[in-house]
Amino acid sequence: MSDTLASPVKKPTVDDIINSRRQNRAAKGAFYTLLLIMVVWSIKVTIIEDTDWERIGSLGKVIAAANRFIGIDFSLFPSLIGPTLETLMIACLGTLVGVILCIPAAWFGAHNITPYKPITYPLARLMMTLSRSIHEIVWALFFVAAVGLGALAGVMALAVRSIGFIAKMSAEAIEDIDPGPVDAIRAAGGNDFQVMIYAILPQVLPQVLSVIIFEWDINIRRSAILGMVGAGGLGLVFFRQMNTFNYHGVTSVIIAILLLILLGEVLSYFARKAVI
Amino acid sequence: MDRTATPARTWSRFKFPDSLIRYGVWLSVLVFLAYTVEYLEIPLDRLLGMLGRMGSTIANRYYPPDIDYIMDADYLEYVLETVQMAYLGALFGLLASVPLGWFGSYNMTPSRRYVYPIARLIVMGCRAVHEMIWAILFVTIIGFGMLPGVLALMFFCTGFAGKLIAEEIEAIDMGPVEAMRASGANLFQTMIFGVFPQVRVAITGIAIYTWDVSFRAATVVGFFGAGGMGWYLKRNILQIETERVAAILLSILALVLISEALSAWARARVMKMK
Amino acid sequence: MAILEVRDLRARYSAGGPEILKGISFRVEADDFFAVIGPSGAGKSTLIRCINRLVEPSGGEILFYDREVTTLPGRQLRLLRRDIGMIFQEFNLIDRMSVMDNVLSGRLGYTGNLRSLFRAFPRDDIQRALDLLDRVGLMDHVDKRADELSGGQRQRVGIARALMQNPKLLLVDEPTSALDPKISREVMALIKQMATEFKVPCLCNIHDVQLAMEFCNKIIGLQDGNKMFDGPTGKMDQAMLDEIYAMEVL
Repeated sequence: MSDTLASPVKKPTVDDIINSRRQNRAAKGAFYTLLLIMVVWSIKVTIIEDTDWERIGSLGKVIAAANRFIGIDFSLFPSLIGPTLETLMIACLGTLVGVILCIPAAWFGAHNITPYKPITYPLARLMMTLSRSIHEIVWALFFVAAVGLGALAGVMALAVRSIGFIAKMSAEAIEDIDPGPVDAIRAAGGNDFQVMIYAILPQVLPQVLSVIIFEWDINIRRSAILGMVGAGGLGLVFFRQMNTFNYHGVTSVIIAILLLILLGEVLSYFARKAVI
Repeated sequence: MDRTATPARTWSRFKFPDSLIRYGVWLSVLVFLAYTVEYLEIPLDRLLGMLGRMGSTIANRYYPPDIDYIMDADYLEYVLETVQMAYLGALFGLLASVPLGWFGSYNMTPSRRYVYPIARLIVMGCRAVHEMIWAILFVTIIGFGMLPGVLALMFFCTGFAGKLIAEEIEAIDMGPVEAMRASGANLFQTMIFGVFPQVRVAITGIAIYTWDVSFRAATVVGFFGAGGMGWYLKRNILQIETERVAAILLSILALVLISEALSAWARARVMKMK
Repeated sequence: MAILEVRDLRARYSAGGPEILKGISFRVEADDFFAVIGPSGAGKSTLIRCINRLVEPSGGEILFYDREVTTLPGRQLRLLRRDIGMIFQEFNLIDRMSVMDNVLSGRLGYTGNLRSLFRAFPRDDIQRALDLLDRVGLMDHVDKRADELSGGQRQRVGIARALMQNPKLLLVDEPTSALDPKISREVMALIKQMATEFKVPCLCNIHDVQLAMEFCNKIIGLQDGNKMFDGPTGKMDQAMLDEIYAMEVL
């Protein structure tokens, strides 16, 4: 970018420097102006033209609409215990099934132990990308359509959604292992399975466990909304409160979700400490 | 499998209190999970059959996907809107998260006692609430359209990027900051000269990640009326137009994969720029 | 006339923690090149940093041109720091900026926010930066990024940056610890030369007693937060040095 090579002999003068700085600023200014124009255009198209400003009305009306959510429907809390538990359980089972599905993905996706590189490696990478790329709501819709309404769809959605991250991190951990123990077990006559159990697993276990805990924490967040598309848990209650216009009830559900997430954070903090 | 080495006589795999606690924890986790299956009424006996049926359902009802439907100009317009919503949400979220990240970084915050905890709390709040809940809340408050979608994505991205930026700022080398302070620079100048050059590359990387998650979320926030492709998805699900649903899901997948590929390329460029 | 007068300076890192400086007093005159020597942990860095209040002193007085430093509020403090240049052990350059921008950053105290945002420094500043870069021998590296330079070159950028402030006092914190012996001597010579030429008194922390004896006209010996010696370099002898460094030998 800069022309340091052009003038090794000639000493730069103040004018050179001031001019090059001006040019630099002008180029940057042009770039940012262009960007700004693009942003303004998008804002115009998507926000200003698309929004029904009449319907929103004045700022006061918006604040009034937001104010409806201020207040807690305490009578709802007893009936939230069941769904909260359900949400937690969906997250746990989803993570567990996800971990089980991860085993082949991580095995195939680590280039140092993948069984047949030209096929299994890209296959595993595709699995990971697919799983990570699709939003959990889409996965939930898919599984609700496939296995019907209920917790099972949520568990499957979370499981499939979890594969990507856990498998990717595990595969990277496996790629980084110290090859010494692998050779040692091989030298002792161990087969592939024994190598995996005795040489690879002990090395990556702490890392993989902390990734699993991390994903479990996120899965709690996710499972709280899956109910909105019929996959069980707090999301269903949220949706019902919304549809009956019980806004204080909505706030109650959000508080329940936040408490559950907080519990998840605390539990995963201790779990992580126990692992490391 | 026979073991070639036999363990020494005095050695035992079981060590009294430690192992007991360890196995106890594992056992209770297993019991909990078993109880979970029971509580959620997951039909284990029919599970395999269900998964088998899943295949045939997909084959019968979702195949072939109605590709013509997603090639329609109307739909493509919605795709464009989704992209715009995603990038506006990411952009506004980033604009909010840079100051929040600064205020929420322990080493550079203007005030450790007041500003730091407030900034942290805002970022944590944005993170804790799922983007779909943000979307529903904004739809309820200001009605259907792109604006609630952009706002929902903005809050989501603020939470996502705010935490990462604060962590980056906390990891900087304080030497240049000290040098700027010593030369009489004010807080703003110290940020511009002492901190920003150090985190610029990292923030670019974070911005790309933010775009990724924002786009992924933008494809579905419309499900609850917040603009973009999600609305199409919902309408066709309600009308049980399964072949169209399949086509829309495929289009979402394709778009996300394209966007991921683009951002992987951009990330590689940024890393080289370093 | 005393440029800087320090009286009974005390400092501690945390409110109830141990005292790092236990009542230090000294005077810096207009043409002094002061060395602060002592074993590591004696409080040399803390002493230097108290003077421009990068570390807040817990007691005592610091008079800079007869002005009390320890009680200055925010804006006044920045104006004071503008008058005191500082050179660091680890150079503390902005790695990802050009040498020119690094030197110009010494002028931030004189520059408005908007100008700093766009790095639009006035013409005079750029001229001065070029002159200084010429003086420290970095004319060929003006457009390079600071992290492309060697250690000695980086410290030269640091020196140019400090002089950019047009300082009335130079604080120098272990300028040679991160450099090898030959480069160390060159850097010390450069600092000395610049200080003489710009008529800036220096207060220089230095671990290497040899360099201190060679370049400085006065020496303060610190040990465990106490001043053990304060006087012209000529009066320093081996017995005194042994006493100052006694704890380190152990």
